[in-house]
Formats: sequence, structure tokens, C-alpha cells
Amino acid sequence: MTAEAIRQKRDRDEVFIEYTKSVCPVCKVVTDAQVNIRDDKVYLRKRCREHGEFEALVYGDAQMYLDSARFNKPGTIPLEFQTEVKDGCPSDCGLCPEHKQHACLGIIEVNTHCNLDCPICFADSGHQPDGYSITLEQCARMLDVFVASEGEAEVVMFSGGEPTIHKHILDFIDLAQARPIRSVNLNTNGIRLASDRRFVEALGERSRPGNRVNIYLQFDGFEERTSREIRGKDLREIKRRALDNCAEAGLTVTLVAAIERDLNDHELGAIVEYGVSHPAVRSVSFQPVTHSGRHVEFDPMTRLTNSDVIHGLVEQLPDWFQARDFFPVPCCFPTCRSITYLLTEGTPGSPDFGVVPIPRLLDIEDYLDYVSNRVVPDLAVREALEKLWSASAFMGADTTREQLAATAEALDCAEACGIDLPEAVANLGDRAFMIVIQDFQDPYTLNVKQLMKCCVEEITPDGRLIPFCAYNSVGYREQVRERMSGVAIADVVPNARPLQPILQPSPYGSKIAASENGDGPRAGAPDATNVGKRIR
Amino acid sequence: MTESAASPPVQGNAEQIKACCAAAYGSDVVALLLGDSYHPGGMRLTRRLVDRLGLVAGGRVLDVASGRGASALMLAREYAVTVDGTDLSDANVTLAGGAAQSAGLADRVTFSTGDAERLTTKDDTYDAVLCECAFCTFPDKSRAVAEFVRVLRPGGRLGLTDVTAQTDRLPPELTSLAAWIACVADARPVEGYRDLVTAGGLRVVHVERHDAALLAMLDQIEARLTLVRMTARARAQALGLDFDRAGPVLEAARRAVAEGLLGYALLVAEKPTSPGPSVAARDSR
Repeated sequence: MTAEAIRQKRDRDEVFIEYTKSVCPVCKVVTDAQVNIRDDKVYLRKRCREHGEFEALVYGDAQMYLDSARFNKPGTIPLEFQTEVKDGCPSDCGLCPEHKQHACLGIIEVNTHCNLDCPICFADSGHQPDGYSITLEQCARMLDVFVASEGEAEVVMFSGGEPTIHKHILDFIDLAQARPIRSVNLNTNGIRLASDRRFVEALGERSRPGNRVNIYLQFDGFEERTSREIRGKDLREIKRRALDNCAEAGLTVTLVAAIERDLNDHELGAIVEYGVSHPAVRSVSFQPVTHSGRHVEFDPMTRLTNSDVIHGLVEQLPDWFQARDFFPVPCCFPTCRSITYLLTEGTPGSPDFGVVPIPRLLDIEDYLDYVSNRVVPDLAVREALEKLWSASAFMGADTTREQLAATAEALDCAEACGIDLPEAVANLGDRAFMIVIQDFQDPYTLNVKQLMKCCVEEITPDGRLIPFCAYNSVGYREQVRERMSGVAIADVVPNARPLQPILQPSPYGSKIAASENGDGPRAGAPDATNVGKRIR
Repeated sequence: MTESAASPPVQGNAEQIKACCAAAYGSDVVALLLGDSYHPGGMRLTRRLVDRLGLVAGGRVLDVASGRGASALMLAREYAVTVDGTDLSDANVTLAGGAAQSAGLADRVTFSTGDAERLTTKDDTYDAVLCECAFCTFPDKSRAVAEFVRVLRPGGRLGLTDVTAQTDRLPPELTSLAAWIACVADARPVEGYRDLVTAGGLRVVHVERHDAALLAMLDQIEARLTLVRMTARARAQALGLDFDRAGPVLEAARRAVAEGLLGYALLVAEKPTSPGPSVAARDSR
């Protein structure tokens, strides 16, 4: 009895590490947010005055999250900004003068139409009655904005919708190649590549030294269930044909895998092995499913993150990988993207197959840890590694090939024995393989701190460069589609378990908030931070 | 990993033969696998060591076995000290000098060829002596310590990182391996290094184990080995590199690290400010 009368102070069950801003996933109002570590995992939490508290897992390995902070490069100021600072991040996109980084990669979405209606699509595309396709003039203007901002741009990606069904897609590539843009990436589901060999040849003809075209092919795994649940169809044969056609046309391919927990996260290793075996494939990009746009119901507290993918790869290919083979990309915020490169020889499974992760050959930390290193052993090597560990690195791009050769110089070994390792590695160029792990932010996980240094930008028809995750999470995608199509678009809300009671379907398959009193969520409470505004 | 390295290094001059590690580096295959400028823990461990040396701007540091000068240049820039580097290899001294020149640090960082057991510097000169991954290879360690003590000013500090080994308990895969044994034959357990510097008259102020750094180095050796197999198999085999043997050797080395027989350590010791009772250097063997 007396013991009960003494009130004891208790400790919190979490370590508070960041104070930042985010948005309400329901009404997109800008909110304060905090990042905490609990049970060795990193969570972002925020509260909207009207819609209450939200929390989501942002990184599955707290130690890795904290360690990554050192791999943060001073940003580069773009030649031009497109907007002014008015309401603060993330309401002024973009890029506004407060943005911390230039655009390593510019994305042009050429349409909203698609020849698939995947259950998972951050762009909310498909066979839809409304939407838009950009014109040649619009594309030229978008490219000009990009070039004006970048001077010499590294890479532009054409996306959609499904860009290969746009009647001007080859003309768009020509427009890009006529400008100082080194490489073009074509983001596609592969359906046209599988069936239209003349189209693939036309792409192959456009991939020339100094002007490469790389195919960014959706490729989620090998099991029928994976294909059906992510794409709505069994596309496995189509992917194989698309890949073989690309190989024949001399096109390089990045396999892009959307990974969902308990669906295809056991296929990570198999995707890498397959990629290394296929003559066209030079890299794999793993992307935890982005819970923006259209997706199946998910639990924000157990979603997949970058560190989960890294640990999964180590588990599935223990002879290939250690977790420390993956290094954060310093050009964007280091928790957004991790990369490793492999040098390989032979076919996986065959007795003389060899694989070496490049980070085991030289001490990457000595070059890319920008906090500890005021002196680097070799500036040329740092420069090369910066290009390789960046959002603009694409296998097949000449720049990436050159930087791999430059990196080999750091191997720094004896010429006495007649084995010149740098030279040997340079000759291995075609057998170098890149693995990228990128967790895009959604309206639940959005952290303005990361957004401010984003280097992957959506180029909009009205001439803005909008950080990719802002475009998908803050309401810019809906804003652009509404302006372009002339059809009113409600803000998309994540299909999250806790939000189920207030969700209703949008005309495009995504979810929107059920409107109350006919006003819809946009009539909700004002901003809860010192900004007091939302973008729409 | 290599049979041919079991015989004395072919090209080594007298000094290289004397210093085992330098001799091992004289073996092409070892140089190929280790690279020329790598030591366990990399620059990160170097900083950790130097942070414990109590340096102030304008201080003077001696880097013993300075290699290509990476640590010395880092020290000069980040700690604003003057550094003298000494190394057994003329080639390294030339390369390091060139690096200092191009870094614009030639006025504060100089390199010369020299022997750790016979330093040419005057007594009480340095605020710190740094010796990374080299002490284990010095045949007369007591004499080397005596030299470090002599050139340190009272209150100055010695910073060591090195391979630790219980050489009598290492598995046969490792003891029969010339290239390896060249580096670790005279390595000591941490206590051995502690005793040596204490006997030399220094007071040990800090000891840390960094076995993970050695494991990372084993990974690097394995990676380079794989790379050589991928790119220049025939040439490497002609040099005596036995790819089939390498796997078990690396495995044995990793096991030895796990069992505590092989490791890496950091040690900082200070020269007393007032002359204590004279301690005669003893042959710890």
C-alpha cells in the first residue's frame, strides 16, 4: 500500500533523435514530426490536429541509420532554381533556393496511360478514361528546364504511365540526345519490348558511345504469385522475351524490383543471380514498394526498408554479400539509397564463377566519409567513387564505365609481377554489376530533412523540378495531373491498415479520404506547424 | 597462399630481408594481395590512435614505417603538426615525398629512408611517435622501443597499432605459410607489447583491441585473390599462387581471430616527465 503511494518516474521506451517536418497522410497538411529509435528500429511519428497521430517504420536497423550520417556530401548548387522560398519545405517545390542538392537524375513522365493496371503503381496509372500525354513541345521545354538547371546533365529518365506506348517516345529520346544530357533511361514494364522488335532495334540504334540508352525494366521476381500480386498478371514470359530482345539489340538493362514484405522479399538473391547471368542486365535496383499512389493494404509499422533489403541479400547470398558491402549514397540524404558494385566472372553456379564486391578492394570510407575525412588519399579516386555512389550512376552510361576504371587505380598494386590489377579491372568493365537499394518516401514516412537534399527530381510540364518523394507524397502529382487533364483530382491517401475506416476508392484504383459533409478532407484544419499552410 | 614466398625474397636488398614485413612485400604475390598502402582499420583507426596522442598544433611527430605517407599527410593537415616520416623502402620515401609536395605540405612533412632501430634524430625531439602495423616485424623490438623513448620528449607519447598473435598456438595452415609468417612470426600478444614498452621505460596509458579490423583485412585479401583469379589466373599461378590452398588458409586465419590467437591492437604509452628509475632494456625473447 505504501509502496504504491510513492509515484515513480519512468523512462521512455525510445531514444529521440530528430525533430523534423512531414505531412498528414490524410489531408497533406504540413506537420511537425519526430524520429525515434525503439527496439533498434527507426520510426517517424507526427500528429495532425484533425486526423490524429501517425507512425511508420523508416529504417529497420538503427545502428546502420546512425552510421550512415557520415556519408553525406556537401550539395552542389544547381545553375537555376525554378521557384521561390515562400511557405517553406515541402510547399515550395521546386527546386527552391533552399534545396540542398542539384538534380542527379531528372524524370519526365510522358503520360498517365498504361497497358497494365497493376495493383501496385505509385503513379496511379492504367487504362483510364482521363489523364494526359505530353506533347513534343512540352517535352522539349521540360528538357530545356533540366539543362538550364544542370548545364551538362548526367541522365534523364522517361517514365509514365507506360512511356513505350507514347507515340512520340523515340522522338522524346532524340530530343534528349540533341541536348547536353549524357544518358537516357527508359522506365518500362517491357510489354512492347517483348513484342515489338523493331522498336527495340530503334532503341538500340539510339544507344551510342556518349549517348547511351539504358532500359529500366520492372522485374519483381520469378514466382507467379509475385507477378500477379504486384502486376495483376503473369508477366514472366514477357519479361524474359523483353530481356532477350534487349540483349540482341545491345541495350543494357537495369532490373527494377518492387519488393513487398512477405511477398517477394525472399527472391532478392535470385534476382541478383539472374541479373548477373543475363547478358543484357548490368544492374539491379531494389525498391521497397512505395506506399504512394496505388498499392495493396499495408502496415506502416512493419513496412520494408533499405536495411531489411540489405540484410535479406546477405542472408540469401551469404557467399556474395556482407552488410558492409553496401554504402550509403552521399549525394542525396544517406539513408535514402545504398549501393554496391560487384565484379563478376563466369555464370553463377558454375565452378569457376567469381564475384568480388568492390568495397572489399578499397576502403570506401576513406573517400566517402565526408565528416571524418578532411584529407582523402586520392582526390581522383574520390571523384570516381562519388560518381559511382550517386543517383546518376547507371551501368551502361559511359560516365559510370569511366569511373569504374578510375576507381581501379586505387587498387594500387605491384606492377612487378606483371599483373596490373587496375588495368585488369578496367577490362572487367563489362562484368561490373551495380546493386541499388532505394526506399522512396510515402505520405507516412516523409521526412523533410531527406526531401531537402533529394537529387531525383520529377520535371513537370510547367517547368518545375520537384523532388520525387515530394511529387508522390505531398500532393504535387495530383496537382499536375489535375492541371494537365482538366479533371479534378483528390489527394491520394495511403492504403494503410490504420486508415481503413476513412478510405474510399479513387477512380484510378488508389484510395482517397471519404468526404464528410461533402467538403472532403481539403477543408480540414490548418497546418499544425509554424508554416500554417498546405500546398493545395 | 604461396609456396614460392617460402624461400627468402628474391629481390629484397639487405634491409628488406632484415625487416620481415618489408621482405614479404618484396614478394610480388603478397604485394599483389595486400596492395601497398593498406593497414588494418584504415584511416579511421589511425585517427582513433592519433586522437589519443595529446597532440597540439605545431607539435612534432615521428611516423615510423611511414609507407607512402598517407597517415603523415593526414596528421599534418588535420592536427596541424610537423611530421618526419621514416621508412625502410627508398621507393616509398620517394612516393611519399611526392605526395607531400603535391599536397602542398612539403614544408611540414618530410620523409627519409631509415631504420627504426637506429634513428638519427636527437634525444627528446618528438611530441609523439607513431608506428602502425610495423612494430611486430622489427627483429630487435627492445632496441626499437629504446629508440622511441630516446627521441620522445618527456611527456611525449608512443602510438602503436599492430598485429597480435600467440605464435606458438597458431594452426599449421598459418605457421607453414611464409608470406603470412613473415608478418606475424614475431608478433606478440597484447601483453607482450605492453611488457616491451613498459620495460623500455614508458607508461602504458591506453590499450584497445581491434580484431574486426584484421577480419576486414582478411576479407580484402580474399577479394583481391578472387580478383586475381578472375583476371590473371595463369600469370598468378606461374608466380606460385595456389588458389586451392588460399581458401583454407583464410578460413584458418579467421578461426584464429575468433579464438583470440590472432588479432589487432592499439596501444598508447607515455614517456615519464621526470626521469624514473632507470630500466634497462631487456631482451623479451
